[in-house]
Amino acid sequence: MNYTLIYSQVTGHIPYLLGGAVLTLQLAVISFLAGWAIGLLNASVLHFGPRPARLAVQGYVTFFINTPLLVQIFFIFFVLPDAGILLSPYAAVAIGMSLNAGAYLTEIQRAGFQSLRREEIDAATAMGFSVPQLVWYVVLPHIAKALYPPLSNQFIIQVMTTSIAAIFAVEELTGRAYNVNSLTFRSLEVFSIVAVIYVLLTLVCSVALALLGRWLFRVKARVF
Amino acid sequence: MTDRRALFAGGAAAAAAAATLLTPKDAAARSLNDVLSGGEIRVGVNPTLPPRALFNERNQIDGFEPEVAAAIARKMGVRLALQPVGSPERIPMVASGRIDFVMGAMSRTSERAKVIDYTVPVHSENYGIVAVQGRGHTSIEALNKPEVTLAQVRGTTAIAYIQRAIPNAQVLLLDNYPDRNRAIAQGRAQASFDGIDSVRFALRPFRQVQWEVTAVPEFGVTYSGLGVAKDNHSLRNWLNIALYELHTDGTIERAWEKWFDGPMFTKVPASPFF
Repeated sequence: MNYTLIYSQVTGHIPYLLGGAVLTLQLAVISFLAGWAIGLLNASVLHFGPRPARLAVQGYVTFFINTPLLVQIFFIFFVLPDAGILLSPYAAVAIGMSLNAGAYLTEIQRAGFQSLRREEIDAATAMGFSVPQLVWYVVLPHIAKALYPPLSNQFIIQVMTTSIAAIFAVEELTGRAYNVNSLTFRSLEVFSIVAVIYVLLTLVCSVALALLGRWLFRVKARVF
Repeated sequence: MTDRRALFAGGAAAAAAAATLLTPKDAAARSLNDVLSGGEIRVGVNPTLPPRALFNERNQIDGFEPEVAAAIARKMGVRLALQPVGSPERIPMVASGRIDFVMGAMSRTSERAKVIDYTVPVHSENYGIVAVQGRGHTSIEALNKPEVTLAQVRGTTAIAYIQRAIPNAQVLLLDNYPDRNRAIAQGRAQASFDGIDSVRFALRPFRQVQWEVTAVPEFGVTYSGLGVAKDNHSLRNWLNIALYELHTDGTIERAWEKWFDGPMFTKVPASPFF
């Protein structure tokens, strides 16, 4: 390779890139939590809801799992304004990522619901629990431990997925990497630094999730 | 021979064949006499930059550059062979003699002129402001306000200028020009500062919007010529004379107006000296 690596032209931009990493994390947390709530609601509907509601949820899941996230955000970002709904770039990306994550998290949590024993649900129903009470006091404590690892994986996927936000004017880590690259033309240096930041970001998240899982649910997760 | 060895031998043969096909052959630049005696001139045009060149509804290369190239071929009395080229390979294509000259927004720069030679300018390249009409976004001063958002394409040369000359405006960095235009049309941004030559063509899909395009000559005007191989003086001299005639009889300006929906923002004066 005839290319000489000159990191000194890029290192001055690292604080700017780290600022983008904070935005990346923020976007991942918001979209994951919103997606988890959507997924929980949908899984409840799939398990306890009437047939029309179940069909609606199945339609939502089918649509969002079988279309690319890029297309979904493009629709929110560029098509909704023609219908009078103009969202900021950040809001458009956060909503798109939440709806997309919601579909995957519906499937994950639906599997958790199916692992419940019928007798537990019957007992709670006999005691007069409403569906929200049933989900909150009976279902969630039972499935939390089993679902914690796949939910953690989904969070790490969310962190990676945020890079798509750069296309929609959100200056997260990848967006800022493009900006630095266009200033310095040092692609190899810029994107190798960004790769290291992503690795550190996901490692920190994995350790934090593993510790949280151990503390909350006694889940023994391996990080390395 | 085992299956694995057979596979390896087959792969090696395929790689050797591919290498033979893909290795660039030495091709010398053709002089004017070579082109005339060959009866064909090979011209590189860039269909990724419409309307400079584009594929029409019959999937044929069309546009401003093919039209000018056809006029040159007619003057020369030879057949025209258009070769689509992208931005990265357009200079290597002409430098290696695979095409006789290249069009494709060949802005003349001292750096490029170390590798290829240029004819006199064919057209100018201008920067300016694209905005919705009647909002007053027609000067750099009018844009330099915090309430103004400029939609720009990430990685383009205008961004450094904006950071320097329009520091108070917000900047919305998008991925491509259609998205930029859509963002302004939808009110997500008020204006954009960038190259404006092709913008009227690019804004055609947004007919419901009244656009205002204002040239900002203080940014600097560049000029695009035809790129020919280094030291191919006979061809370059002939092309200079042909371009003078095409400028003076209005062929180039008419083709420009037809494809770019209006006159050049900076006219190219026809010079008899070169």
